[in-house]
Amino acid sequence: MTAGSQMNANNLHEPAAGFDFSNYLRNQNLLQTDGAAPKLKAKKTGTTIVGTVYAGGVVLGADTRATNDTEVAERNCEKIHYIAPNMYCCGAGTAADTENTTALISRQLELLRMDTARPSRLVTAVTLLKRMLFRYQGHVSAALVLGGCDLQGPHIYQIYPHGSTAKLPYTSMGSGSLAAMAVLESSWQENMTEDMAVQLVQRAIGAGIFNDLGSGSNCDICIIKTDGTVDYRRNAVKPNELAPLRAQVQRSGRLNMRPGLTPIIKSEFKPHPVVAAGGETAMEVE
Amino acid sequence: MGTLMASTEESSVVATTSLPIEHRFSPYDFNGGTVAAVSGPDYVVVAADTRLSSGYEIKSRNVTKLHALTDKCILASAGCKTDVDQLRSVLDIRGKMYQYNHRKPMNTPSVAQMLSVTLYGKRFFPYYAFNVLAGIDAQGVGAVYSYDAIGSFERTQYSAAGSGQAYVIPFLDNVIGNRNRLEEKPILTATEVVELLKDAFLSAGERDIYTGDQVEIMVVTRDGIQTQTFALKAD
Repeated sequence: MTAGSQMNANNLHEPAAGFDFSNYLRNQNLLQTDGAAPKLKAKKTGTTIVGTVYAGGVVLGADTRATNDTEVAERNCEKIHYIAPNMYCCGAGTAADTENTTALISRQLELLRMDTARPSRLVTAVTLLKRMLFRYQGHVSAALVLGGCDLQGPHIYQIYPHGSTAKLPYTSMGSGSLAAMAVLESSWQENMTEDMAVQLVQRAIGAGIFNDLGSGSNCDICIIKTDGTVDYRRNAVKPNELAPLRAQVQRSGRLNMRPGLTPIIKSEFKPHPVVAAGGETAMEVE
Repeated sequence: MGTLMASTEESSVVATTSLPIEHRFSPYDFNGGTVAAVSGPDYVVVAADTRLSSGYEIKSRNVTKLHALTDKCILASAGCKTDVDQLRSVLDIRGKMYQYNHRKPMNTPSVAQMLSVTLYGKRFFPYYAFNVLAGIDAQGVGAVYSYDAIGSFERTQYSAAGSGQAYVIPFLDNVIGNRNRLEEKPILTATEVVELLKDAFLSAGERDIYTGDQVEIMVVTRDGIQTQTFALKAD
């Protein structure tokens, strides 16, 4: 009988609600064994994400680097997630947690829109997210910047993995949040125009990309306006293109792997057996 | 009256906190970076990136990891910068003393041995330095020596060390070491090797967060040392 489960009427084990900690001791032992630790590591995003309100809506920004400890796992991942037609959410922390949490709440909101026949409100999304994250006591490592426009106007919220939230005119999260916040604090003003807001977000994300080792590559921008339109600018700025640097290297022909270079140790051909029901070959046409 | 409570089947397993942890000051910090060296019949090429980091921060984009111990021998070190600096000082002093006593600079195999002995001297509080020594040996042939933190060393044709080591070595294995290639192992010129190392560092910079900014490349021949720099990505 595994801890935390109970027998039901059909003698099947039902998992108890919440997290099952029965693997905790096994994980501790694994971490002590040499070489087993990498198997337990979750991919973290090591990120810079920002959001700001401006005169006509909100602007969200994010970098595009996903890291596995100190290795870059993905150079151009998407960190601005769709929540609703009028809401997007930037996610920092463990990649699987941010993707699945935002997807779950997005789908819950869609069902709610069908039930209520109304556009979603940001407070609803914030409440759904914080209730879920608090229930998991911070084990779901998702730090989010949620932004959008509803009938009450444009809003930016920041949501921490343990479930606390804050409603702010501008914010940044992730390992590059200090670099980004330095830019935001020096340049943010109330009632910016769209261009000013976009420039500010790009500079803030740029500060994270170049000064934080956990962030890098490109900058994604998402503008959500109070009139309901969304401008999702994937790779709005690409300051880290590799091609110009590679072009400066006189690549030696030595690098090219021509056919015939790779040693073939053994070669074997086995035709796949095709047996139709009734013993006839499947290729016969009737 | 002291009756034992039987634990119910429904009691949930709460994650137990671990035993009391003794907090200690760690004297080591990893300052990142990658170094690599390739030797040839009459040259040796050493390359190292110039980024100094600590944690997730960049401390400097322009700090050298290469140090000429003689005019024919260069020490490339990644690891903890303060330990690397101290190691360089100690080697410089011992090299000078050798020069005063023998009226000539140390040759490369002797420097290699001296470095090993110096590292093992701190076997129980090691220099956090991952070294690659590159130079021209007494016969005029290129030599590369790779080390671990406590002085075990081996002369090899090429080597890499540091945070981006795992991205550079397999590449060098294929192109310099001719592994998994059905052809004659070619003899490469110093210029070709320089271009290959630039490519290797561009690739390492893509995947290792500690490698980037610039590569400093030194070519050592019997005529001396030539230096060039090459830009990498700054993110």
